[in-house]
Amino acid sequence: MSTSRAAALLGAAPRGRMRALGFLIALAGPAIVVAVFLPFRDTLQPLTIGFSFLVVVVAAAIVGRLGPGLLAAVVSFLTFNFFFLPPYDSFVIARGEHVVALVVFLALSVLISSLYSRAVDRADVAEAKERELQMLQELSRDLVVRGPGEDTYEALVRDVVERFGFDAGALFVSGSDGGLDERVVVGAAPGSISPSWNPADPGRAPERLPLSVGNRTLGLIVLTGTRDPLDPAEVRVLRAVCDQLALVLERDRLLRAATDAEILRQTETARRNMLAAVSHDLRSPLAAIKASVTDLLDPEVPRSDVDRDAVLQVVDREADRLDALVANLLDLSRIEAGVVQVRLEHVDLAEAVTAEVDAAALRWPGVRIAMDIDDAHEIAIADPVFVPRVVSNLLDNAARAATSADARSIEIEIGPTVHGERNAQVAVKVVDHGVGLTTMERTQLFLPFSRLDERTTKLGSGLGLAIARGFVDLMGGELWLEDTPGGGATFAFSLQEAS
Amino acid sequence: MTKILVVDDEPQIREAIQRSLVARDYDVELAADGAIALDLAAASPPDLVVLDLNMPVLDGLEFCRRIRTWSSVPIIVLSVRDEEPDKIAALDLGADDYLTKPFGTGELLARVRALLRRGEGAQADHRTNYQLDGVSIDMQAHRVTRSDGDVHLTKTEWSLLEALTAHPGKLLTHRWLLERVWGDTYGDDVEVLRVFVSQLRRKIEPDPRRPRAIVTEPGIGYRWSGEATGDA
Repeated sequence: MSTSRAAALLGAAPRGRMRALGFLIALAGPAIVVAVFLPFRDTLQPLTIGFSFLVVVVAAAIVGRLGPGLLAAVVSFLTFNFFFLPPYDSFVIARGEHVVALVVFLALSVLISSLYSRAVDRADVAEAKERELQMLQELSRDLVVRGPGEDTYEALVRDVVERFGFDAGALFVSGSDGGLDERVVVGAAPGSISPSWNPADPGRAPERLPLSVGNRTLGLIVLTGTRDPLDPAEVRVLRAVCDQLALVLERDRLLRAATDAEILRQTETARRNMLAAVSHDLRSPLAAIKASVTDLLDPEVPRSDVDRDAVLQVVDREADRLDALVANLLDLSRIEAGVVQVRLEHVDLAEAVTAEVDAAALRWPGVRIAMDIDDAHEIAIADPVFVPRVVSNLLDNAARAATSADARSIEIEIGPTVHGERNAQVAVKVVDHGVGLTTMERTQLFLPFSRLDERTTKLGSGLGLAIARGFVDLMGGELWLEDTPGGGATFAFSLQEAS
Repeated sequence: MTKILVVDDEPQIREAIQRSLVARDYDVELAADGAIALDLAAASPPDLVVLDLNMPVLDGLEFCRRIRTWSSVPIIVLSVRDEEPDKIAALDLGADDYLTKPFGTGELLARVRALLRRGEGAQADHRTNYQLDGVSIDMQAHRVTRSDGDVHLTKTEWSLLEALTAHPGKLLTHRWLLERVWGDTYGDDVEVLRVFVSQLRRKIEPDPRRPRAIVTEPGIGYRWSGEATGDA
């Protein structure tokens, strides 16, 4: 299949056969006309017979193009004269009008043959060009549509190998050390195709097509197989494909370089922010604990049991804060390192949320938390350990916003949602009536160490939200932000509902 | 005097626990690793063990496995966050409860008291009664009464309730409950268990959404925390 496909690019094989057939018609056609019309040559007009010969000429020209057409014209001219123009069986012509008819016949034959074959040749060239173009288009479509990546390169090499009837092919890319690294091998074992070829090697020379942009060589495609050498049209197509591939390789390289640089820059910034945030957040509870404890240890100061209790409560609360921060940092680093195992099972969201609301109510005594739960949609497919952590982080975030707002209340709602274009999703929404968020704040929201207010000394709010999002992602859900009608922010996450 | 064996490789934790327990008149023995702890437990059996999971020489899991071959002493496991698989393994190996570090002394003492009560021979037989805010459960008569009348429990619900109340205060893993109520065949089908627990709660809990008798330990199992009111 592949050989005929490649050959069809120029229609080479059929054409040779058609030409032979044309010559056959040019020789056999007049013989048949003679055989058919010879018994009636006295009763038929020479014009009728002349037209019959013309049919033969046209047929030969259509089938075999110019050569057979001309041959048919000459053979017909002679045969017509010899057998059908009196005196018969000689090349002598008795009547002047027959001479004219014969000359007209010859002229017509030659004209038709040459006109037809020229038209057909042009059509052939146009068709070949179109095929060439189409092939090029098909080959390069992958590169354009699928974008960079090993899969794309492999698909392209495979396509080239199949279309051009090779057995195997390989793509080599210039490495940083100047050597050629094998990227893709199709139709052969990896490593079995060599990028270099020595004329002394046994077997046929492989096709070696360089990939270059400007005068920089980016790589090489090597094609091996037993097919005939490439013809000029095929070479044109392959060169064009190689040029495109070279451009894509170059684009990939530049893109990677740019991305690496950007990641490095961002990592650097994130690292600096993280160090600043962590040292601040770790130090402030630690400072409170140290101050309280040294105060208690001071024997000089007499103090009542009530005072002592008050100091110890500070120590207790600050230790909890420290614990929460360390837990969050651990969660985040585990999420980012990709070492968190998610275990999905049916989780009763109502129960999990209620427990977290009760716990949050103790942490935020000044904030009123209301619940609105849709009983029919409270079972989700989720991780039983992650859900409480997501909810508690969102509750803390909302409570923090509520403490600086007029309405010191937050609401938590559970109900069905169609968020994320998937059906049977259940959403948990945490609604606050704080000051809401600006566009700038939104863009930095889920970055672990962003802070909405540099002066706040609370746990980095970005940390909790980044963890919430990390856990929700791991559970296959989505976490998003809405505006609370009337002001404030609503953080929501969706999970697949258990059927 | 009640004897408690505290096993932890970190001296600060060991001593802090020792201080709070001695202050409540418990007799405390300390061990720095599982191997020492096994020797001490064999020499003079404790009434309860507080056991750290992460230890050199012989870790908490191995300690559980070995001591359970000859003793049913209550064990409270101490672990750090995110060791869920280890916690479950320890509970499946026969530990009775766990605490996540850092914990408050109050929490530790409450768990210790709950497990010791059970150890004192209150190995609940099926004649105990429970009273939960307007709901009374008569285990012997198989009767649950709410303020608005009797509640019917199915056979499975009763056997689940019996499995839970058989070990008050003990953290029962999903697998243990499944095997106890449904037999071996259900294996890891936590969903079946969740559905029945939720049904049972609707019948016996005053506020099913804030369960007080059947407490969930997310991802691990359930615990019976209903207060017994005495024999029928």
